[in-house]
Parts: sequence; C-alpha cells; structure tokens
Amino acid sequence: MVDILQKLDILADAAKYDVACTSSGVQRSGRAGQLGSAGMAGCCHSFTPDGRCVTLLKVLMANTCTYDCAYCVNRASNENIARAAFTPRELADLTIGFYRRNYIEGLFLSSGVIRDADTTCELMAQTLDILRHEYRFRGYIHAKAVPGASPELIDRLGLLADRLSVNLELPSSKSLQRLAPEKDRASIIAPMRHIQRSMAEDADTRVLMSRNMVYMGSHKPVRKTRAYAPAGQSTQMIVGATPESDYQVLSLAASLYRSVSLKRVFFSAYLPVNDDVRLPVTDAVQLDREHRLYQADWLMRYYGFQVEEIIDEAAPFLDTELDPKAAWALGHLDQFPVEVNAAPLETLLRVPGIGPRGARLIVRARRQSTLHEADLRKLGIAYKRARYFITCNGCYGGAGVAFTPDALRAQLAAPIQGGRHGRRATRQCEGQLSLFDAVDTPEKRKGCRSAGQQLGAAGGEAAALPQSSRQEPQDAGRAACATPEELFAA
Amino acid sequence: MSAAAELYDSVAYVYDDTLEGLLSAIFAAYANGEDPLDVVPERSLQPRLGQRVATIATNAHHADRVARTLKGQGGWRTFAAVRAAAVSEQPDAGTAAYRFVRYMMDEQKRRDCKRCRKRASCPGATGRGPCPRLRGRALSDISHPAVAPIHRIERSVSQECEHMRQFIRFEHLQGEGVDVWFARCNPKSSVIPLVMGHFVERFNVQPFIIYDENHGLAGVYEGSRWYFVRAEDAPELPSQAGEERLMQAAWRRFYRAVAVESRYNPELRQRFMPQRFWKNLTEMQDELPTALAPLS
Repeated sequence: MVDILQKLDILADAAKYDVACTSSGVQRSGRAGQLGSAGMAGCCHSFTPDGRCVTLLKVLMANTCTYDCAYCVNRASNENIARAAFTPRELADLTIGFYRRNYIEGLFLSSGVIRDADTTCELMAQTLDILRHEYRFRGYIHAKAVPGASPELIDRLGLLADRLSVNLELPSSKSLQRLAPEKDRASIIAPMRHIQRSMAEDADTRVLMSRNMVYMGSHKPVRKTRAYAPAGQSTQMIVGATPESDYQVLSLAASLYRSVSLKRVFFSAYLPVNDDVRLPVTDAVQLDREHRLYQADWLMRYYGFQVEEIIDEAAPFLDTELDPKAAWALGHLDQFPVEVNAAPLETLLRVPGIGPRGARLIVRARRQSTLHEADLRKLGIAYKRARYFITCNGCYGGAGVAFTPDALRAQLAAPIQGGRHGRRATRQCEGQLSLFDAVDTPEKRKGCRSAGQQLGAAGGEAAALPQSSRQEPQDAGRAACATPEELFAA
Repeated sequence: MSAAAELYDSVAYVYDDTLEGLLSAIFAAYANGEDPLDVVPERSLQPRLGQRVATIATNAHHADRVARTLKGQGGWRTFAAVRAAAVSEQPDAGTAAYRFVRYMMDEQKRRDCKRCRKRASCPGATGRGPCPRLRGRALSDISHPAVAPIHRIERSVSQECEHMRQFIRFEHLQGEGVDVWFARCNPKSSVIPLVMGHFVERFNVQPFIIYDENHGLAGVYEGSRWYFVRAEDAPELPSQAGEERLMQAAWRRFYRAVAVESRYNPELRQRFMPQRFWKNLTEMQDELPTALAPLS
C-alpha cells in the first residue's frame, strides 16, 4: 500500500511540468448507476502553491523512458532518479478513489516511452478501458497520444478519452533535432493530423446518423458509440530553451489552430532541471514571456485578432511592459476613440480594458438605455484603461492625457502584477554571479530524484523514426498562411 | 394619520429567511397595496427611525403564485435571480429582489402592443399573458438601479456555488449497517440546495451527506431520493472506512508533488482558493494558519 504512495509521489512529480491541465470542452450529464459527469467549463478542485489549478489526476504511467531529450528529467541518461510504473489496475483504482471524494474531475494520463510507442499506448489504453468499461466512469479523461504509435492504438485512445494531445515539445524542428534527437517533426504532426481526420469523420457520421439521411434507414446503429475525443486535441511547447522568437511561436500556434484545428496550444516557460551543454545557461524562468504569449493566444482565440496584427517579423518579441492588446491599440490610434453606444461587438473587443464578457454586457445593456461612465463601471469594465479609447454618448473620459502613443503608453504600461512573487525573470537569485557556471534551481537541488521536465514528462516519448533530412532552413514561419510543417521547419 | 405623518411612514417587511418567505413578502406588498422600503429576513432586521415593521407569515400558496408569475412574466432566469437573492447572506438581498420584481412587472404593464407586428397572434396583446419579447428583458437592463443590485447578488451566489462544486471533499465512513460519504463545508450563503443536484447527478452511486456547518443544514442523498435536514450540530458520525486514511494520504502527497517550486506564488493560490475554505480541505490541513487549526 505504501508502495502506491511512493509511486504516486514519483509519477506525479514527474508529470508536473506538463502545463496543460484543463477539464473543459465536453458536456456529459450523469447517468443513473454510473459514476461521474463532465461540465463544459470544467472545474478546478484545488490550487497548488504556485497558483496553478489541479483539476485532473495528472500522472505518468511510467517514468522510464528510452529516449534522451536534453530538457527532460526522465531522460534515459539520468541514471540516479527513482523510476516507477503504475499497473493499469492500480491507476484506475486510484482515479476512482480520488474521484469519489471529489478531489478531481478525472484523469490526465501521460507516460515515458516504455520499450516502444505501441507498448506505451497499449498500457494507457488498458487503463482507460478499465475506467470506462469496468467502472463505467463518466468523468473527464485526457490522454497523451505517443507520437509514433500505430493509428489503431491512437484511435482506441481517442474513443476512450475526452481530449487527446500530442506534444510539440519545441517550436522548431531544428531545436527538436538538437535537444530531442529521437523525435522529429513528421512523427509529431502525423498523429495530430490523424486525430483531426478521425474527429472530423466521427462528427460527420454522427450528423448523418442523427438526421437519418442515409439510405437503408432501417439499419440503425444498435448502440451508440463513444464520440472520438469530443473535447478536441491540444498541444504544448517549451518556450525559452531554444532561440525561437515570439513571432515564430505565435505563428506556429496560429497555423496549428487553423490547419489542425487544435483547441489549445500551451506554452511552458523553460525550467532548468538538467545540466547539459545543449541547454541555455540561465536560471531565469521566463514567466513574464509565457504570460504575454498566453495573452496573445487569448487575443487570437477569443478576440478575433489575426496573428500578424499582434506581432510582426520586424519586432519579433512581445513587449514585456505592455500587454499585446494595448500595444495593438497604440499602433492603431486612428481607429479610436470608439463610441460604446454604437460600436459593433468586434470593435468593442479591441478596446483595451473591455474583455469578451464586458463587451457582451455592453451590447446587452445598451439595447435598453444609453450607457454613461457610471454604467460602464457597474458593468465591470476596466474604465481606468478603457477611457482613453472610448466615448460614452459623445463624452471622452481620457482628457488631460495627450492622445499620442507615447503619452498613452505611460498610462497603460505596468509590470505584470503576478510577477511580484516567486522567482521571476527580472529578479536576481542567490549565486547570480556565476553567469556561466551550472545553474541551480530548487528542482535540481532536490537531486534528480524529482522527475519529468516540461512536456518531456508527458511527451518524453516519440517515434524512433529516422531523422529525415528535410530541415532546410526557411525564413521563420512566413506569415500565417504557412502550414505547421513549414513553420516548424524554420 | 395626517398627511405629514404619512410622508414619513415607511414600512419594513420581515420574512423568515426562506425562498417561500421572500416570495410571500413580495405577494403581501402587492396584496396590501404597499411599497415597503425594506424587505429583510429576521436575522438582519434593523428598523429605520420611526419605521413600522410588518412580519409577513410564510404562505406556500402565495409563494407558489408569485413563483409562477415570475417564471411566466420574466422567464426562468428571473426566478433564478430571485432564488439566489433568497439564499444570499447580504443584508440588502431581499430588498433588491423586491425592487427588481416591481420593476419587471411595471415594465410588463407599461408595454404597448399597438404597433407590434405580432399583435394578432400574441396572447400578450389581448392581455391574456405576458409579452414574449419582454421576457427576461428586465434582467438585461444591467445598469438600471433596480437591476444592478440583483445582478451583483446573483453573481456572488453563483460564485459560492462554484466554490462548493470545487472544494467539497467527501470522506468514506462506515459503521455497523452504515456506509456513507460525508462532506463538511462552510459556504457564505446557504447554497447547498442549489448545488445538491450537481452532486446527486455525479455521485449517484454513493449515498452521501453534505453538511453546511455555517447554516446548520445538511443535504442527504440516500441512493435514490434526496432531502434536507436542519441540524445545528454535526451529526454523530461512524468511523472512517478502511481505505480512507490511505486515500487522504495519497491526495496530500499528490498535492505536494505537483507544486513547482520555481513558480511559487502563494498569493495567486489564495485568490483562487480563499483561506476560509482551507479547514475543510484535505490537502490544506498541513498548511492551516494557527487560528484555523483544529484544537488537538
């Protein structure tokens, strides 16, 4: 029994650098006699001391790995770390035990590569099988598809899990070749495309069946099958371990959203856990950069921004002082101020200080009455920021500050508030003088006992496909019309 | 009574801190032709100077009539807003609900169907029913002084509901002939009735009790039906089931293992997971500030 606790310790620790932890995207009501349900928005059951949410039981199936990725604690060459593996039965029992106590929304299952990709996938599928068929579990399951696994196994995972993900690991294939020599672009993108195709096919079939548009209508399916990854697929990449710019990272993300129809792209600030000559010598975790990347990502997904509006090749890094939306607004002052009582939703969404919720509330409230400053405050708009860019019934609230980019910038620029605590990019740590020595983070200090590095943990896996020689350098992710393959090749 | 006295005459309606009580008070205001300045539950009554206090007896029939009217005239969301106000602990919640209902009914009354395109077929045009176009519209007028307070109240209550869905922790208890999952919680508003459905749906395979220690209310699910019990003190409990200690230890270790030290940011955690919930959270028992720690 104590054994289980130790395994959990090792394997949860090994999975913690995988930043993706969401239980959203699928609505499944409970059913009498079966345990569990899932809600569209997901639910966070706890929060770690670093403020990240704990919604799923995020563990590795095993932290043994045959690959040797530079950034990953579980890499094969780290000989002195504790290795452990769950059996499918143990893991399923643990998940159900936690779920019944309302500790979690479900399971996030990932793994190091045990022997080869197929064996790993097979073990994961066995675990999910026990959960879904034996325990008839209706909660949320997120599974990592191991790149290089056979399509049949990925399909099996897809029909059991709610969300699948394949980790991109690093934002370009050159970096991938350098830091994770066993992985390559093709083996990562291929399963993504396969999942996308299977999801589309599944959705089409469902529509056809539900509308009864097929011939031979008497042949109705006897039993409804489970949907293929109903919550979509996601991916993640490490930012800061390799020299790619924000421009490359965001262009890649945008093209993934467009061409592989991902639900989310996660960014994970590089956190040193290994000493390796191939890794950058820095102990600054680029949390501020990660924060700005997420802001830009949100602009693309919820605010209707195109990637080329947020960032361009001439200035390939996001401003750390100013959020990307404010930066865009300062560059397009000719479009402001806008009248809140008349501007369409898309325009409101582009005003700094007005978010998707605020913009929709404005549209809803202005049908009934003309909105003034006090009303906007009541609706929860950040009026302090928004006032320079709007008029309320013809009234401009930002008088006293020149309407120029520089003057407005002084008003809007502010350090990232979450950045006051913890080890931040700007703060110097003890032992800072040793600029070129090995760096020391709490993770390393613990000895390599702790496990998995970013995604590596989860994606510490990949096909052993031979590196093809198609990495001719192109100019990084030319605009947004490039495909992930092209961008990735940069 | 002289005209001058009438001018200063204000009345406060007192109800018994239930949804039915609040609805009965709203009914009484219309039935008596009065416009009470305050509608408050007994516990937060603080009469103004010279204010007359009228205690409204709860009447299930009246409450039902008001509830039906609310759903008919304003839609289901309107009723949900009033229901949220009834469970809220905020002192102005009852008044806000009353003001909002008045406003909504006046809006319905003031409608003009003469120029409506659908006046021929609409039941509202002939006075037989509510106007479908006005349904739920009062709730959209968010910046109106009669609507803004109820929005604020509903938002805080729904936040508390979400906190309960997040932070309730069950313990598996077993005694002779008893096998139950027990959870203790301390919400700000009495929201257990609002979240009980969620837990019954999700955990329909296990009989459970959720005990709200702040309001002395327990939601009990027996395996097929569920109901509420008033209980000022926590019920006497059987001892923990065999695997309970192991599961709690496992959860604590998992919680400790997933923290990334390089990103340590306790303020952010506290914002998402307020300290008032910590005493009932399995994983936070080691980190309780001394004031909250159990005496032992």
